[in-house]
Amino acid sequence: MDASIKQSTSRPVVPREPDRQFLTFRLAGELFGLDIANILEILEYQHLTEVPLMPAFIRGVMNLRGAVVPVVDLSARLGRGALPLGKRSSIVIVEAGTGDEEGGQPVGMLVDQVDAVLALPASAIEPAPQFGQRLRTDFIAGMAQIDGLFIVLLDIGHVLSIEEMTLLATLDYSPHESCNDKPDPGRPARDA
Amino acid sequence: MNLDQAIQAFFDEAFELLQQMEDILLDAESTQSDPELLNALFRTIHTIKGSAGLFALDGIVGFTHQVENALDRLRSGELTLNENLTSLLLRCHDHVKAMLQALVNQSDGPDEASQAALLAELAALTATAGGTPASEPEPATATADTAATMDWLLYLGFGPDVLRHGLDPASFLSYLATLGEVSHVIPLLPGLQAGTAYDPEQNYLQLALRFRGETTLATLHDVFEFAREDSHILIAPLAGAAATLARNEAGLGDTELAQVHAHWLTLGMQTPDEAVAASPDEPEQAADSGAQSAAPLAASVAAPPAGSSNPKKAKTAEKAGEGRFIRVEAEKLDALINLIGELVIAGAAGNLLARQHGAMALQEWSQGISTLIEQIRTGTLSMRMVQIGEIFNRFPRVVRDVTKELGKDVQLDIVGADTELDKSMIDKLGDPLMHLIRNAIDHGIETVAVRTERGKPARGTVRLNAYHESGSILIEVSDDGGGLHRDRILAKAIDRGLITADAALTEQEIFALIFEPGFSTAAQVTSISGRGVGMDVVRRSIEQLRGTIQIDSTPDVGTVFRIRLPLTLAIIDGFLVEIGKATYVIPLEAVIECIELPEALRDASHADHLNLRGELLPLLRLASFLEVPAAENARQNVVVVRTGDRKVGLVVDGLLGEFQTVIKPLGSMFSHIKVIGGSTILGNGQIALILDVNELVQHVTLRDSARFSLTHDFAMLGISSQPTK
Repeated sequence: MDASIKQSTSRPVVPREPDRQFLTFRLAGELFGLDIANILEILEYQHLTEVPLMPAFIRGVMNLRGAVVPVVDLSARLGRGALPLGKRSSIVIVEAGTGDEEGGQPVGMLVDQVDAVLALPASAIEPAPQFGQRLRTDFIAGMAQIDGLFIVLLDIGHVLSIEEMTLLATLDYSPHESCNDKPDPGRPARDA
Repeated sequence: MNLDQAIQAFFDEAFELLQQMEDILLDAESTQSDPELLNALFRTIHTIKGSAGLFALDGIVGFTHQVENALDRLRSGELTLNENLTSLLLRCHDHVKAMLQALVNQSDGPDEASQAALLAELAALTATAGGTPASEPEPATATADTAATMDWLLYLGFGPDVLRHGLDPASFLSYLATLGEVSHVIPLLPGLQAGTAYDPEQNYLQLALRFRGETTLATLHDVFEFAREDSHILIAPLAGAAATLARNEAGLGDTELAQVHAHWLTLGMQTPDEAVAASPDEPEQAADSGAQSAAPLAASVAAPPAGSSNPKKAKTAEKAGEGRFIRVEAEKLDALINLIGELVIAGAAGNLLARQHGAMALQEWSQGISTLIEQIRTGTLSMRMVQIGEIFNRFPRVVRDVTKELGKDVQLDIVGADTELDKSMIDKLGDPLMHLIRNAIDHGIETVAVRTERGKPARGTVRLNAYHESGSILIEVSDDGGGLHRDRILAKAIDRGLITADAALTEQEIFALIFEPGFSTAAQVTSISGRGVGMDVVRRSIEQLRGTIQIDSTPDVGTVFRIRLPLTLAIIDGFLVEIGKATYVIPLEAVIECIELPEALRDASHADHLNLRGELLPLLRLASFLEVPAAENARQNVVVVRTGDRKVGLVVDGLLGEFQTVIKPLGSMFSHIKVIGGSTILGNGQIALILDVNELVQHVTLRDSARFSLTHDFAMLGISSQPTK
């Protein structure tokens, strides 16, 4: 496990009704939360193999103990631009929905930094506001109040929907695309 | 023992036996009743019945018992195997299979009515043959096959050369003594007479002996297996000895025969009259010696009748078969292969560390480990390989049924059934092959009338052939039928709007049109060709296995469907290249050679082609194609690859050498990028992508034809309305 995960020991957890636990992490300073039920493991950033001809939000594939796992740049996926790598960059492996009943497949999620695991009572979670989050509303599972601040709890089933990402990747790419002789505006030039 | 496991083993065994039964039945149609086959046939059902009894599967026991009766009378010669009987037995086979299948699926069994009908037909057989076999199980072979303590008479006519061949008559005797009791031995020395020259290397000794033991005729014959070649061995149960001698199957000379007769009499042989007189006491033996029924009691070694001596041998062969194969769950094997993949990577990491560390002993040790790991991997992967005969074997039945249904006369030739292929591919090949075979019979082979008119043999041939060729496996389904009608296909394709009327197509391309969805030239849809799987599905399933399918056809001579498949789905020999900063794998089977990119061609602004010893080689710059920044200062190289029958040069930034790689799928998210066929994990744990050379070239061809076309020029000039083609 990454050393940067700190269990929140400060607040005593009294199980009135079962609290839900959330991992908080940062993307370019902005705090997000994710239900840990979705999370398989958290890894330090490791080398990714870029897959050419893919949209920018797919950073590449990584070797997860012999399995080839795609890694999504969460920041790019949320429409906030590609995430620069930092010292504390981490990859959160989550179970992404495939749309069918088969169960999920592991997908890596590149984030700036993982923060903490918080237990939140259901009462601390509010529904998403209609606007103002600079996010697709279907990406938001709810808003949680933490130390007076509201953070977005992501709906990972939508954010990392394999079906939707496959569709986007397919649309982004067509055999005739490069016949225009101009760079695709949707794809920022990759720095090597 | 876990009962579930045991019953699973029973199912596996039963299905195997049923397969055997089917094979024999189909075989017997052509070879006619070879007693050995009939015995084997009997054994299949007999074993199923026995095993089913262990699990108290009364339904199966009851039905198989009736089938067994019929088979028993078949092998005793009361019935002969004709087409009707074969059909009936095949249907019985299907019925037993359906019953078993129902048990496996825990669903309802086949309906009672069909069983009743089959039983009625079986009973009818019994009635016409006029016997009551059920009350008289295995009458003919009882004495020969079952081990009961009884007396035997033996004549061991060792030939003069046995000593020269290293055989010692004494050792036969001592071995025989382990099976029972040798009560009398009469040494005979007919060849050794006073005054003749004695040759110490020659054998003069022959023996007549009486033996008592709990054994069978076959076992006794096995004792003298080695002496068989140059000796006369006669073995008979005491009661049947006279009859055996009378038949003289060993082909003894008159004097020798008389001699044996005399000595056996001394040893207690009864004359035929005595034998009949003795029959009330020993009914079984009398029945055999007197009636001379189908399975002869005694046999000469020179020509052993299959009926009595072979069941034993076949059984030992079966035993050996059991030992040679172990059933393993496919999942366990896959898990093992995955683990070994990990081991390879871990081993490579260890190797690297050892090299960095520099200690010689450590490096040698890690080299040794690497070699072992490589061997383990090769070995494990080979476990996945199974013989393609596994699927070929179901086709004789298909051919038989389809042929009967269509009223044609077709034989199936199978060649190369022992060619090995990855198990997971075998499973997926069944349906496409089945379809091709049905098609060949339905559309390919002409009716008998037409064939005769064309001067061909009335019986058509469909041939299945499998063989290895340069890292691939080739499977051919060919027929000697009418061939594909080029013009009819063209007309149909134009009619369906698949191609334009003026399209210039090669013969191959025309034939390939039949793989288009919704294409069928058959004037009418028969029950055979309308089974839901179209040729487009055939092609798709072959392509899913990373294979290709190709057609050769000559009018009135025949058609060949040629399927080319990679040997395995799990592993390829790859050639590692560097493009930009990443490592890619090009399948080694596509690579012809590597050359350095000439200085003059470094700059990509010129036309991209190269003079390869007088041959024009189009170049594909992979870095720009894949939109990755090219490595700076790289000494670029050209990898010459083969696609179809053309050569293409792939420009890469570096050559890293060969690497045997385990293919890992990339997942659905990347499935639209056809130029990347999969991925693999390198020794350092990083992932390398595998390039699909065929797709790559196809893709570039498509791109260039779009880029340099009239429509593109229109677009460049700002003309939006494009003329339609």
